[in-house]
Amino acid sequence: MKEVILIRFGEIFLKGRNYSYFENTLFKNVERRLKKFNLKLERISGRFLVSDFEAEDKDDIIEAIQTVFGLVSLSVAYEVETSVDTIKSACEKIKLQDKTFKVEVKRADKTFPIKSFEFAGELGGVILKNNPDSKVDVHSPQEIVYVDIRQNGKTYIFYDKVICLGGMPVGTAGRAMLLLSGGIDSPVAGFLMAKRGLCINAIHFESYPYTSEQAKQKVIDLANIIKKYTGNIRLFIVPFTRIQEEIHKNCDDEYMVTLVRRFMMEIAEQVAKKSGCQAIITGENLGQVASQTVEGVTMTSMMAKDLPIFRPLISFDKIEISKISEKIGTYDISVLPYEDCCSVFLPKNPVTHPKLNKIIENEELLNREFLIQDAISKMEIIDIKN
Amino acid sequence: MFYLDNGATTKPRKEVVEEYVKNCEEGFFNPSAVYSSAFNLSKKIDGVRSLILDALSGDEYKDRVVFTSGATEANNLAIFGSATNRTKKYLFSVGEHPSVYNCAQELLTRGYNVQFIPLSNTGEVDYDAFEKLCDKDTCFVSTMFVNNETGAINDLCRIRNIIDSKNPNCIFHVDGVQGFCKLPLSVKKCKINLLSMSAHKIAGLKGVGALFISNKVNLKNISFGGGQEKGLRSGTVNAGGILAMGKAVELASRDMAKNLEKIGKLKTLLLENLYKNFKDKFICASTEKGSPYVVSLMFKGIKGEVLVRKLDSNGVIVGTGSACSANKVGNRILENMGYSKDQVVGAVRVSFGFDSTEEDVIEFCNKLKECY
Repeated sequence: MKEVILIRFGEIFLKGRNYSYFENTLFKNVERRLKKFNLKLERISGRFLVSDFEAEDKDDIIEAIQTVFGLVSLSVAYEVETSVDTIKSACEKIKLQDKTFKVEVKRADKTFPIKSFEFAGELGGVILKNNPDSKVDVHSPQEIVYVDIRQNGKTYIFYDKVICLGGMPVGTAGRAMLLLSGGIDSPVAGFLMAKRGLCINAIHFESYPYTSEQAKQKVIDLANIIKKYTGNIRLFIVPFTRIQEEIHKNCDDEYMVTLVRRFMMEIAEQVAKKSGCQAIITGENLGQVASQTVEGVTMTSMMAKDLPIFRPLISFDKIEISKISEKIGTYDISVLPYEDCCSVFLPKNPVTHPKLNKIIENEELLNREFLIQDAISKMEIIDIKN
Repeated sequence: MFYLDNGATTKPRKEVVEEYVKNCEEGFFNPSAVYSSAFNLSKKIDGVRSLILDALSGDEYKDRVVFTSGATEANNLAIFGSATNRTKKYLFSVGEHPSVYNCAQELLTRGYNVQFIPLSNTGEVDYDAFEKLCDKDTCFVSTMFVNNETGAINDLCRIRNIIDSKNPNCIFHVDGVQGFCKLPLSVKKCKINLLSMSAHKIAGLKGVGALFISNKVNLKNISFGGGQEKGLRSGTVNAGGILAMGKAVELASRDMAKNLEKIGKLKTLLLENLYKNFKDKFICASTEKGSPYVVSLMFKGIKGEVLVRKLDSNGVIVGTGSACSANKVGNRILENMGYSKDQVVGAVRVSFGFDSTEEDVIEFCNKLKECY
C-alpha cells in the first residue's frame, strides 16, 4: 500500500472543444511547479496523480500544488492493487477520530465482484471496528471515505479533501502588465488576475535617490513571492526621478499625483505593448486615496489608449485586501517601511476632482514625449524565474 | 570614495588585518584546549585583556574583561546580568543606542522599575533631572560615554558623584563604544563598574567586542554553554578577532592624543566650510564640547536619507541620523534635545575615523553643493 496524491480540477471542464488545451496547460503548470521534487506525475481520466515521492516531501508537494490556479482540490490517497482483501486491509488503517462517516464506493472497473452499495456497507463495518467511537451517518456525515476502483487494476482510498485555489490555468488567458508599487494592493491584484489565467509582466517606477535601494529590492522580493502562483515574471524597472522632478519644478503642486499617474499609465501601456501584453492590471481601489476618485481614475484611464485596464480590487476594503495579502505571503514584505515613488514630493492637498483642462495646461509645460522615451530607454529588465 | 560614516564602522587597519591573518594561519587553535599551542594562545588573549584594562586605567589584578561578539552583546550581558531585583530602580539615559535602550524596554516589559533620564539641549544627560531621579533605591544606572548620533560627551565622573551621593553601591554601566580609544577615559577615576566596547569602531574587526567588569560587580551569566570567559560568555573564543582587537587598541591608544588633535581640526574645517556655504540652511546639533569624531547636521528642506543617497551617487559616504527610515519613527535623540520633527527629518551624520583627511571634508562640502 502506498500513498499518492490525487489532484482534481474544475472550471476547465466548462471549456468544451478547448478542453484539451486547458488541461494540457494546467498539466504543464503543475509539472513546472513540482519539478524540484523527485516524483511521478501522470494523468488519469479527469485527474492528475502524483506518486513515487519521498515521504518527507509530502507536505511540501501539497503546499506547492495549492499554489497552482485551475486546481479545485487534492487528496492524499492509499493506492492498492484491486482485490477485496487488499481494499479491506487498507480500510483498517483509516483513523476517523470519532467523526461520523459514510463510505462511497465507485466502481469504474465493473469486473469487480461485489456491487458498490454492498461493498460500501462491508467496508463501513471494517472501519467501525477500528474506530469504535465513530458512527455511520449516510445523510450528513462529517467525513466521506471514498473508494475508487479504477480500470487500471488500482484502487484509491481517500477521505480528506484539501481545497486548492480554483480559477483558470495561468497562461490560458494571455499576458498582462501589472503596475507593481511595493504596497499591499498591487501584488494582490496580480495574484487575482493570474487566477483568471493571465501570465504576468510587472512594471515598477523607481525614484532613486528619493526612494531607497531597499524599496526596489522590496518589489523584487514581492515578485519572487507572487511568481509561486503566476509563474515567471518579467519585471521592468523604470527610472522615474527625472519625470517627478520636472513635474515638481514646473507644475501645480496639487496636480502632482494626477500627473505622475498619467505618466505611469502611458509608460506602462507602451512597455506592455512592446512586451506582448494584452492588458494592464492595477491595484487601484475606489476612494482609498485622494487620487483614486472616479475623476482621478478617469484621468489615468484615458492614458491607456489601446489596452484594457483591469482593476480587480476596485471594490475591495483594505481589510479584505490585507487578508489575501497575508494568505499569499506578500503582506510582511509590503508593510516594510520603505517609501515608494508615490510618496515622493507628495503635496499636502492633492486634488481629488482633477479637471482635464487644468491637467492639459500643466502637461503642456513639460516635454512629455522626451521624458517618457528617456525613461523607457533607461529601463532595467529583471527576469523573476521559478 | 570618500568615507565619512565611521560612526557606523571603520575600515580595519592594515596591521589589524595582518594580525588576524597571522592568527588564522598559525594560531588557529581553540584557546580553551589543554595542549600547549592552545595555552600559548590563551596567554596572548590575556595579553589583550591587560591592554584593554591599561587603556581604561583599570586594575589588572582585580578587574576583568570578557570578550563578546560586539558591543550589543556586551550591553545585553551588562544589563541583564545585573538585573536581579525587581523592587529596585533602574535608570537609563533616553539618548542610549538601541542596544541599550531596547534592553531597558525589555526590562520594563518584564516588570522592572525602569525610568529614563532626559537629555539637555546639548545632547548630554540632563544632570539636574538625573539628580532628582536617582535615589537610594537606584541599583543600576546606564549612560553612554559619547552619543553615537551627536557626539555629545556625558560627564561620567559627575554622574558617578550624583550616584554616590544617593547610593554608593549602585552599579554604573557605560556604553563606551564611540569614545573608547578615541577620548581619554578612566574607569578608576569615574568609578565605572561596567563598560562596553566594540573593536570595529576603532579600526578593528566586526564580530568582536568586550565588557569591562570591575571587581565590585557580581555579574550573572545570561547564556549557557561550555563556560568560557569565566562562565560569563560561553562559546568558542574568537581568538583571531580578539588578537586583532588587541592590535587596534594598541595603535589607537598610542595615537589617541595625535588623532584627537587631527580630528578636532577636521571638525573645525567642516563647520567653517558649512557655515560659509550653507549658512541658515542647516543646524548643527553637535556642540563644541562634544567629541570631534561625530558631527550631527540637520539640513532644511530635504530628507537626510535622500541627501545621503545623492552624496553616495557622487562618491561621498555619510550616515543618516538613525539607521531607520527617519520619517516613520522620528529620531528619539534629536527630538529629546528639543528639535522638531521637521528639523530632524533632514538629519545627516558625518563621522570621522583615524584615517580621515582634509580631502574627505573638502570633497564632502563640494559634493554637498551639487546635491543640496
